[in-house]
Amino acid sequence: MRFFTATVLGLLAPSLCAATNLTTPNRLDLPSGFKPPQVFKNTNLVRNTNLEKSYVRETINVVVENVDKQPQNDYYIPFSAEVFDRVGAFEVRDKKAPEKGRFDVDYTEAVSSGGNQYFVVHLPEPLAPKSQITLGISYSVLSSLSPLPATIQQADKQYLTYSFSAYTPSAYTTDTQKTKLKFPSTNVPDYTTTDGLKSGSDPERKGATYTYGPYDTAKVAPGTEHPITVRYEFTKPVITVNLLERDLEVSHWGGNLATEERYWLRNNGSQLTNQFSRVDWTYSNYQKAPTSAVRELTYPLLPGSVDPYFIDDIGNVSTSRYRPSVGKSAGNLELKPRYPIFGGWNYSFRIGWNNDLASFLRRAAGVDSDSYVLKVPLIEGPKMAEGIQYERVIVRVVLPEGAHNVRFEVLEGSHSNGLPVAEHIHAQVSSLKTYMDTLGRTTLTLEVDSLTDEARDSKLVVTYDHSMIDALRKPFTIFAGLLTVFVAAWGIGKIDVSIKKR
Amino acid sequence: MAPSSLDVVLKGSSGRNTRGLLRVIILCTIAAAAVSSRLFSVIRFESIIHEFDPWFNFRATKYLVENGFYSFWDWFDDRTWHPLGRVTGGTLYPGLMVTSGVIYHILRLLTIPVDIRNICVLLAPGFSGLTALAMYLLTSEMSDSPSAGLLAAAFMGITPGYISRSVAGSYDNEAIAIFLLVFTFYLWIKAVKNGSIMWGALTALFYGYMVSAWGGYVFITNLIPLHVFVLLCMGRYSTRVYISYTTWYALGTLGSMQIPFVGFLPIRNSDHMSALGVFGLIQLVAFAEFIRGYLPGKQFQKLLTSMVLLTFGLGFGGLVLLSVSGVIAPWSGRFYSLWDTGYAKIHIPIIASVSEHQPTAWPAFFFDLNFLIWLFPAGVFMCFQKLKDEHVFVVIYSVLASYFAGVMVRLMLTLTPIVCVAAALALSCILDNFLVASTPSTETKAKATTEDKSLRSARNPVVGIYSWFSKSVVVASVTLYLLMFVAHCTWVTSNAYSSPSVVLASKLPDGSQFIIDDYREAYYWLRQNTPDNAKIMSWWDYGYQIGGMADRPTLVDNNTWNNTHIATVGKAMSSREEVSYPILRQHDVDYVLVVFGGLLGYSGDDLNKFLWMVRIAEGIWPDEVKERDFFTARGEYRVDEEATPAMKNSLMYKMSYHNYQSLFPAGQAMDRVRGTRLPKESPQLNTLEEAFTSENWIVRLYKVKDLDNLGRDHSNAVAFDKGLKRKRATKRKGPRVLRTE
Repeated sequence: MRFFTATVLGLLAPSLCAATNLTTPNRLDLPSGFKPPQVFKNTNLVRNTNLEKSYVRETINVVVENVDKQPQNDYYIPFSAEVFDRVGAFEVRDKKAPEKGRFDVDYTEAVSSGGNQYFVVHLPEPLAPKSQITLGISYSVLSSLSPLPATIQQADKQYLTYSFSAYTPSAYTTDTQKTKLKFPSTNVPDYTTTDGLKSGSDPERKGATYTYGPYDTAKVAPGTEHPITVRYEFTKPVITVNLLERDLEVSHWGGNLATEERYWLRNNGSQLTNQFSRVDWTYSNYQKAPTSAVRELTYPLLPGSVDPYFIDDIGNVSTSRYRPSVGKSAGNLELKPRYPIFGGWNYSFRIGWNNDLASFLRRAAGVDSDSYVLKVPLIEGPKMAEGIQYERVIVRVVLPEGAHNVRFEVLEGSHSNGLPVAEHIHAQVSSLKTYMDTLGRTTLTLEVDSLTDEARDSKLVVTYDHSMIDALRKPFTIFAGLLTVFVAAWGIGKIDVSIKKR
Repeated sequence: MAPSSLDVVLKGSSGRNTRGLLRVIILCTIAAAAVSSRLFSVIRFESIIHEFDPWFNFRATKYLVENGFYSFWDWFDDRTWHPLGRVTGGTLYPGLMVTSGVIYHILRLLTIPVDIRNICVLLAPGFSGLTALAMYLLTSEMSDSPSAGLLAAAFMGITPGYISRSVAGSYDNEAIAIFLLVFTFYLWIKAVKNGSIMWGALTALFYGYMVSAWGGYVFITNLIPLHVFVLLCMGRYSTRVYISYTTWYALGTLGSMQIPFVGFLPIRNSDHMSALGVFGLIQLVAFAEFIRGYLPGKQFQKLLTSMVLLTFGLGFGGLVLLSVSGVIAPWSGRFYSLWDTGYAKIHIPIIASVSEHQPTAWPAFFFDLNFLIWLFPAGVFMCFQKLKDEHVFVVIYSVLASYFAGVMVRLMLTLTPIVCVAAALALSCILDNFLVASTPSTETKAKATTEDKSLRSARNPVVGIYSWFSKSVVVASVTLYLLMFVAHCTWVTSNAYSSPSVVLASKLPDGSQFIIDDYREAYYWLRQNTPDNAKIMSWWDYGYQIGGMADRPTLVDNNTWNNTHIATVGKAMSSREEVSYPILRQHDVDYVLVVFGGLLGYSGDDLNKFLWMVRIAEGIWPDEVKERDFFTARGEYRVDEEATPAMKNSLMYKMSYHNYQSLFPAGQAMDRVRGTRLPKESPQLNTLEEAFTSENWIVRLYKVKDLDNLGRDHSNAVAFDKGLKRKRATKRKGPRVLRTE
């Protein structure tokens, strides 16, 4: 477990905490025209591209061999500059030992336009010459699917296209490689067939899985592209959250964990050729026909969640329904937006609920300890079959007034938790004044870009110190305030302001 | 012993303290009851701004809170009355917004994060609690009985006549204005009683606040001079009256002139002339009083007569001259309609089209005031019995307010306070007489028997009102009336006055509540999915709501300051597409919003308001829009097969029924509001296209088509798209010329 010490918040120095940020993403500056040293060779590479959701999820398993004379430990993975910013949840593990955790990864700074950007994977132990390692690389690419045709009729099927290179982009020479595409259905009207890359038909089709390759590419220079475009049916909304703001407010006095989430949502699917027709919508709703519009969002809530609300800028949205949890099962919040969200339409809203704090917070080691451990989901979000992509997520954990020595950690398992490595989560501690605070509440703000709903299950652990004196500050302040008012009133009442002598 | 220990608490100085404490507790309870009875809509629906005007006030408050006071003061709003805009900062009463802004900032200072919307929603209930307290003070000045004030406060707290304008969410000027009205009157009575400059100045201060809050301040401006004038006529001139009136008038007028919207009206408008006149008169009277001390009676008489004639002549002549030359503005239309209820209908249809400007129906008095209305004359009668200066005020107020309440529904609001005062006076008198009055002691009985033996009734004192029987009967019936009053008030508040009207509620067969939220559905769609400066045209009723909820520029709104602009919209709605389209283009309209209740049976829709649009348009363009054309030969207003061509071709008709028929089996389309079967074919729209229709079809939005790419007119383009052959006939007639004006 690695802890990133956020800050030591002095009791009376709230200005200090705003200044100390601890984790800013590491970015390597590269000289222009940089080429990764050709010290590795990919012996075998298999790329799995999953198109079942509204974003692209790729996992690459590659056997890497050191062809240099020295042991090497920096492996470069290139992406074109325009794709690079939309790559999320990038992680690399040792395929043979995934439970050992993910490798450290750095970003490179943009050097020149049109050039490649790199993820630099630091192998935990340098790879000796001639030896091999199998890397499992996984990531998602947001907003890389475009609808074609771009405008459709209301009841039409929606098709998405995805373009990629038959040769997996790599900084090193690859001996053999293949790409497996998994489509949501067997309805794939258009796809590129390659000529002369391999013998036999390419791609090979098997149900909803199409395989390009295997190609023998030992002679092909790294960076060579062979464009492939596929177009497949996806009559589901392409739900994109431009911004999600999530607030978790911890109240020791109330024993309550309040959650509020604000969504700015958009459907990036095909737009409507004509305007919206209520008649057609009523009929298609009646038939429960598949549609490219967002009809409803289902949001599973943790057991014990109470008082949910669903509002937007102009008040309560009366079309929601909450099915509370029974026993240990999750509750379900069924959110129906005010109107169906068709391609190109926006919808912003906020939801919130309360939980009993006891199931998330505990004292660290010992009853008298002033140290607390809070374990909460980093993001939750609706659970939809078609998936949701988040372009930017800002999570604020509002701790009680006077909490200090704040540290956080994201839990990791043996497989991807949908989050980038911890260095790429931008963290900051500040203070927030609300509800008659004097110092302000310690607030931990985490910012992550390019997430998908795979991060739903990730857990955030925050530890902080909070003493009895901190807890008693507010009652004392209110008491002192009221006392001042009464004394002032009494004093003013004693003053004689009459003109004539009594 | 229990009784003696009770005596310690109830008698002597500690008894006074106990009663004082009890009174405070009762008043707090009354205030709490007043607040809580106004929360029906919050509990039943949500914390939401109601109706139409409050949406503007809410939007203005948000602007004030976001941009600060000075930019609010100079606010030019280019998102309403497109393309004219509105000098909003100078054409509103800022009192309401500033009050909520101040509350907001105080709470922020205490770092209590309260949403400005919640302050706005709960402002009216909060102030109604204060009104109850002010009512207690006012009534206590009128009567010696300690119960009168408490009764009046309780009545004011829950009477539907006041609740109708002050439920939670009804964020309108009246929300704070009634408190200010009652409190100003209290201060005025206090000033007249004491002849104190301080109370007079306080009256002026609160009068100034009232001016900043509500146009109804004119009522105070005229009532106080009238009170003074009547006192003068009754020969009750005193330095007390002089001091309080002159202080109030001088400071109050200066204060009121600080509001940009009022400005120089207090010295230039006829509505305010009576205050000025009485101010002059009281100077003359004071002067005459002064002279009287120095002159013999005969000469004084002569001087007085000549002076009165001279001043009257000069004053009247001056007034006529100034009015004719236009320095003094003539009486406003709204004011005329107070005297002649038929005036507005003939001359200003826009005023008549507002339902709250209609004359009051008689049952409304009982509905809004219940048993207070028949206690009211009794209370006024009792004022005549005492007739001190303050009672004269009650009498004048009663007479004036009764008249105005009869003329206009919304003025019921100004009648309510005085009804509460009068009814409380009457009821407290009854209760005091029957509860407190003790049987005359044996000594007085003995006296009475010795003095007048022949009076039989006096021989036995345990008859009449002294008997337990009569006491219990009267007290029981009064209690019953009071209980019924509470029940009535609660029922009326809950059923009649607590609907936000933005959200409609209906009951499902199983008794659960079903919410129809079409307005917000459409407004939110507009807010999220149209360009930020898309212009929306709708009938003016929805202007404020579009501005508040959809946040888009509108052509006309509920601030009906420009009749011509409203008539333009009326003309666009009631004309043929060929006429309407150029109007829409000229005004940059992107979307047109209509409200249609035909599917649901929602009767407040645009087709039912349509005749007002026609009438208002006819007022400006009598040659182009004619109300008669929308009635059939037999004088019926129909929307079915028999509808007149003008009706069927009007934009409003087409937009309401566009594509509606396809919801039904062929020929079965029904309009559930007007209860008629519609024509088989749905009307053909050429220049507009349906952009959005809400779930229950209440709100329909149409996008105005751009000019055709090939230069055809829209009817040809649509016909071509449908694959119809171009009709020869139209060609023979020659191209249709677009009328632009």
